[in-house]
Amino acid sequence: MSQSRGAKPGPEPAERVVIGIAFGNSNSSIAFTIDDKAEVIANEDGDRQIPTVLSYVDGDEYYGSHAKTFLVRNPSNTIAYFRDFLGKEFKAIDPTHCHAAAHPLDSAGTVNFSVKDKGPDDEPTSVSVAEAGTRYLRRLVHSASEYLGKKVTSAVIAVPTDCGDKQREALIEAVNAAGVEVLQLISDPVAAALAYDARPEAVIEDKMVVVADFGGTRSDVAVIASRGGMYTILATVHDYEFAGVQLDQALIDHFAKEFMKKHSTDPRSNPKSLAKLRLEAESTKKALSLGTNAQFSVESLADGYDFSMTLNRVRYEMLIRGVLAGFNRLVEGAVKKAGLDVLDIDEVIMCGGTSHTPRIARNLADMFQTTTKILAPATSTTAVNPSELQARGAALQASLIQEYEMGDIEQSTHPAVTTVNHISNAIGVVAVGADGEETFTPVMQAETAAPARRIVHLGCAKDVGGDFLIKVVEGGTHIKVTKPPPKPQQPVANGDKADDDSDSDDDSVEEEDKREKVWKIGRPLAEAAVSGVKKGGKVEVTINVAADLAITMTAREVGSKGGVRGTLAAP
Amino acid sequence: PALPDGWAGDKGFKAIGKLSGTSQRSIEPVGPHFLAHARRSRHNRTFSEDDRL
Repeated sequence: MSQSRGAKPGPEPAERVVIGIAFGNSNSSIAFTIDDKAEVIANEDGDRQIPTVLSYVDGDEYYGSHAKTFLVRNPSNTIAYFRDFLGKEFKAIDPTHCHAAAHPLDSAGTVNFSVKDKGPDDEPTSVSVAEAGTRYLRRLVHSASEYLGKKVTSAVIAVPTDCGDKQREALIEAVNAAGVEVLQLISDPVAAALAYDARPEAVIEDKMVVVADFGGTRSDVAVIASRGGMYTILATVHDYEFAGVQLDQALIDHFAKEFMKKHSTDPRSNPKSLAKLRLEAESTKKALSLGTNAQFSVESLADGYDFSMTLNRVRYEMLIRGVLAGFNRLVEGAVKKAGLDVLDIDEVIMCGGTSHTPRIARNLADMFQTTTKILAPATSTTAVNPSELQARGAALQASLIQEYEMGDIEQSTHPAVTTVNHISNAIGVVAVGADGEETFTPVMQAETAAPARRIVHLGCAKDVGGDFLIKVVEGGTHIKVTKPPPKPQQPVANGDKADDDSDSDDDSVEEEDKREKVWKIGRPLAEAAVSGVKKGGKVEVTINVAADLAITMTAREVGSKGGVRGTLAAP
Repeated sequence: PALPDGWAGDKGFKAIGKLSGTSQRSIEPVGPHFLAHARRSRHNRTFSEDDRL
C-alpha cells in the first residue's frame, strides 16, 4: 500500500496493542485476538454490532445504539450512514439514507453536516464527514481500550472492494486523527474468508468461494479463488437496491397499511412516526431471523394511537419476495462475471447483518449444488455469526502483522509482490479408469497464483504393479448437460402445483436438465516413467510452478528413493 | 496408465508442452499464507529453501 499515514511515526512494533475494525455504514464492530482466536468486543452498551451513528443532545455526544434511538426525537443533530461519504465529493454521494437524520451539506465540494454539538442554544457547528468519522472511531477505539485495559495503538480495518484510493486515504486520516495507527486496510470479503480459514478446525484447500455480504444499505458479492490459503478476487458486484433497508421498507409499508385500516393517518407521512416505524421494523426483522413469530409495537405511532401486531415468518417472507429475488440475482451475476458456473463454486460465505435472514441462505442453497457449503446460521451448524466475520478477519490480520515494521508491511503489500501470474488452466495427471477411459485428476487448480507447489498421491490397484507412465496435462472444465429421460406425462396435475411452489423465487422447474461439471483433457505437458512400483503402492507426483511459469515435476513411488525429475521451460 | 512398450525419454522424463494460458492477477495481501509468500518473494527463496528454514 502506498498511502501516507501521517507524519507522526507509529508506535514500536513490540508496544502495539492491535484490534480489527469493521467500519460500516449501518453498523461497526471491533475485535481482538486472544491465543490466535478472534473475539468480537462488546461496547459499554453490550452491543457487538455498534450502529454507526453519532448524536448530540444538550452538548453531550452519544454514539451507537443510544445515538440511533435519537433518530426519533433529535434527527437533525444525529449523523448516520456516513461511511460511504468519506473521501468523496459532494456530487458523488447518494444522500438517500440521510433524509431521516442530519442532511449532508455541500461545503466547497466536500461533505459536511450541520449539528448543534455544543448545546441546544448555541449556533450549529459544521462537522465534516472526516471529523464525524474521527469522532465515531475515537469512541469505538475507546470502547476497545476500556475492554482490553490497554490503550489501543493500531488497527487493521476492513473496507469494501470498490473503495478507491481517495476514500482509503480519507479513512486512514480519520483514524490517525483519532490517535490510532492503521497497519493495513484489507478487503471486506477477504476478511470474511480469513475469519473462516483461520479457525483451528479449518482445512486449507483449493476452493472457489463466493462471499455474499448483505448489509444494511448496500450488498457486495465477491468471487474469490482460494488457493493454498491465498486469495485472488476474480469478480465483484456492488448493489444499493437490494439490502437490509429494503427489507425494513417492506415491513414499514406492511405495518403502515395495517395501521391505516384502523386509523385515518398514514404514519409514513410524518417524519417522527416514520422514524419510529423504521426502528421497530428493523427490530421486528431481527426477531424474525431468530423466531418464527415477532411482535411489532410502537407507542403513540401517529395521532397519539398506539399500534401493535404480530407477524409470522412465512408472511414476512412473502412481503420480501422481490428483495429476496434481487439477492439471488446479485449472487448469480457475480458468478457469471467471474466467468464461472454455479457448479464451480465450493463454498458460499454469507456475511453482513442481513445474512441472518434464514430464507436468503435457503434460496442460495437451492441455487447451488448440494455439495456446495452455504456458511450461514440457517444452513450450517459451524457457521460463524455473519455480522462478526469482517471484524474477526481484520483482528486476525492485525495480530499477524503487528510485529512487522511499517516499512515491511508496505513493501510486502506492494503491487510487485501481489501482482503475479495465475495459471488459467488446471494442471493434472491422466489416469485410466476401470472402463479403460482416460480420466483427468487435477493436481493444481486453475487460477492458482505462481509460484505454487502441489503434491498428489496416486494409488495403484491392489493387483497391478510394475511400470507406469505419468502423463501430465492441462485440463479445463465444461458443463455437461444431460436431458432427463422422458417420464410418463401427468398432464393437468402439474399446472396448479407449480403455482404453489412459486414463492421460492428460483427457477426450480420440475424435470430439470441434469448439469454436471466434467474435466476435459487439454494440452499434454510432459510424460514420466516410474518403474517397478509395488502392487498397491502409491506414486507421489509433485508439480512446482515457478514465478516465471517454468514447471518442475517429480514422480516417485512413496517410500522409495530417487524418482524421476524434469523441468519444462518457461513459456 | 501402464508404461507402453518402446516408450523412451531422457532419464525417464519427456517434456512435451509448456504452460499455455496465464493471466496477471493480484493476490490479496491477507492471511498467513500470503505473508509466507511475501517473505519468499522478498528474499527470493524457493519452497524447498523455505521449508528447510
